[in-house]
Amino acid sequence: MQSPDLSQTYFELFGLNPVFDLDCSRLHAQQQRLQATYHPDRHVNASERDKRVSVQVASWVNQAYETLQDPVKRSRYLLEINGVNIPDDSTTTSDTEFLMEQIELREQVESCRHAEDGLQQSDQIEARLTQRANELAAEFVSHFEISEFDKAMTSSRKMQFVQRIQQQLCELQFELEGL
Amino acid sequence: MALLQIVEPGESSVPHEHRYSAGIDLGTTNSLVATVRSGEAVCLPDEDGRSLLPSVVNFSDTQTLVGYAAQALQTSDPLNSIASIKRLMGRARQDLVQLGDVVPYEFVVNEGSNVPRMRTRGGDFTAVEISAEILKTLAHRATQSIGGDLDGVVITVPAYFDDAQRQATRDAATLAGLNLFRLLNEPTAAAVAYGLEQDNDGLIAIYDLGGGTFDISILRLNQGVFEVLATGGDSSLGGDDMDHTLGEWIITQAEFDDIDNKLARQILLAARQAKERLTSAESAEILIEYAQQQWSGVIDRQQFDELIQSLIGKTLTACRRALRDAGVSKQDVRQVVMVGGSTRVPLVQSMIAEFFEREPMCELDPDKVVALGAAIQADILAGNKPDSDMLLLDVLPLSLGIETMGGLSEKIINRNTAIPVARGQDFTTFKDGQTAMSIHVVQGERELVADCRSLARFELRGFPPMTAGAARIRVTYQVDADGLMSVTAVETTSGVTADIVVKPSYGLTDSEIETMLRASMEHAREDVELRMLKEQQVEAKRVIEAIDTALAQDGEALLSKAEIARINQHRDQLEAAIEAGSAAELKQLIKAIESVSEAYVAKRMNASVKTALAGKKIDEVDV
Repeated sequence: MQSPDLSQTYFELFGLNPVFDLDCSRLHAQQQRLQATYHPDRHVNASERDKRVSVQVASWVNQAYETLQDPVKRSRYLLEINGVNIPDDSTTTSDTEFLMEQIELREQVESCRHAEDGLQQSDQIEARLTQRANELAAEFVSHFEISEFDKAMTSSRKMQFVQRIQQQLCELQFELEGL
Repeated sequence: MALLQIVEPGESSVPHEHRYSAGIDLGTTNSLVATVRSGEAVCLPDEDGRSLLPSVVNFSDTQTLVGYAAQALQTSDPLNSIASIKRLMGRARQDLVQLGDVVPYEFVVNEGSNVPRMRTRGGDFTAVEISAEILKTLAHRATQSIGGDLDGVVITVPAYFDDAQRQATRDAATLAGLNLFRLLNEPTAAAVAYGLEQDNDGLIAIYDLGGGTFDISILRLNQGVFEVLATGGDSSLGGDDMDHTLGEWIITQAEFDDIDNKLARQILLAARQAKERLTSAESAEILIEYAQQQWSGVIDRQQFDELIQSLIGKTLTACRRALRDAGVSKQDVRQVVMVGGSTRVPLVQSMIAEFFEREPMCELDPDKVVALGAAIQADILAGNKPDSDMLLLDVLPLSLGIETMGGLSEKIINRNTAIPVARGQDFTTFKDGQTAMSIHVVQGERELVADCRSLARFELRGFPPMTAGAARIRVTYQVDADGLMSVTAVETTSGVTADIVVKPSYGLTDSEIETMLRASMEHAREDVELRMLKEQQVEAKRVIEAIDTALAQDGEALLSKAEIARINQHRDQLEAAIEAGSAAELKQLIKAIESVSEAYVAKRMNASVKTALAGKKIDEVDV
């Protein structure tokens, strides 16, 4: 099998422009095409060495897909390939206004747990979070396009906070439905 | 070494040659083998025309019996007739306590091992060895029926099987001398048997009610990719429970007292027969004659349905839970596939239809559907359907994590991540001169290590001594397409690869497998050693041919004379060894030639990729 050039970016691998707003259906289609070539199931009768290569390349393709598919990971990756040093997850924001918003959102999520109309409330919060995620993504794009990478980084980090709250809400919703 | 045979797209290096393959459903109660014949998947019957092979193995001083013959001895010789071995795959002795009465066998644990062995008259055997006996019987049936050796097999496993259980299944295949193409999830196999991958995207529910187990899986089909969203079920709920319920009804009706084992067995048998008749008939007669006690009666469909309604209700509760886990509603489910003999019961079908608000698919024999799907996948993997687009991309069933301070599990790879997948993690040393470290890998969703399943402890040894904090140890966790994990580690500043000692928490160690393999080789009718030698000889010839072709093509352009001479020297050594050498020697020499020509391969790859990709975008390249 021909191994792809492992030094290319994930965007190059998928034949996509390195921008935030991706054509997701195209990303999907390319993922299927790449796996159809490199997945170990296509190399069952190959030599041991080729099988190993296939597992590694298919893993790499999966990693690339996972990165591009997720908006937060995609934003970070875009910054990374533009030479921005990505701070680790423990870095906190110093934006007090955003911090307050976060605390408020978290409290709202928690209050659904014991509220009588918890599920309904959670739907409202969900809508609000989706809107916030979209706003932040637009903010990221506007900074990124004019190479304001520091500001873009801040937007990306905010996106990550919102995504975490979205996940918490999602888990809580399952819990509430189960009662 | 096929890397040296760079083939232009659309050009095949080998003329098409049909390869024999089979799909094996290694079940708790029954096992089956199927193959694709003239484009159609069929289950292979034994000489008496029976497709099912009871998953029972009987050991005596002189012989090992598998299937119906072993099942027949279950009552008279229970301790030497091992059944339901699948429940013990990948399990340690401490797990057996939970299984309680399910397994009445006598267990022994050898020193230096944590794998339980069952004591029988024929010796002590592990679950892996016993499963291997079942696999051998099925493989033998397949080779007889096909009239040739199997190139490879696909074996199915429950979707919720963890790493240890999958590894145990793979080990059993190795021990049976089978080339395992792939482990396939049972629900995915069932979906493949129905050709659902050709359908539109959507959710599929696989309802699998067997003799003693119930499984429900929710799959998502997304452009030919099957993803397991959730699984659930009850490992002690099945058709046998229906027999018991009906048996109790008979006892009440007949007012039997003083029921000994033999009468109980006869009642259960009568109950099962009545249940089977009721799948097509509206009523069934029951006749019990035993010693002084005699009873005859009639049960109609409605009475039977009332008896088993609550049993089926339990499965619906599990379905609801699985849907919730998957985060979907039952209206989203586009197809419901029925698997397992107990789904023949009309009430099961009607209650499922009512629950999911659609008719379930039950056109295929529910006992065979998993084996048929496995056969279809095996046929594709063998390369017999080069035009097939089908690709089953799986996800990791349970998260993998490592133990961190305070007994917490830090997730490295989350469940439902597409596999194969690799993750890297950097560690450093915390003591001066530290040359080793240990990593404890666990599997499961819970926070505490104690609540997860311990998979293995990896001891990394042999990195160069440095001051504390100076070493950078990059640990890579690789999960392959079967969901099995391996670990590699390298100290990045020096490039030294660590030696890794794996201590599996539940499974067999490599040396245990090796010992078993050796033992089985000594006893095997087929000479496995010879087979391995032949394989290596074929591989050696292939390597030599590849090298000759490659060198003739561009050897002089890419390599110096000295480099060519070095490669050729190894090539000649290998050629000389084909006739005289052992399998191990050949393997060694092939490895040597691979490492000597590594740089050459890389150069060829680059040259070729450059030519192929020159001036093209990725979507224009035929990948």
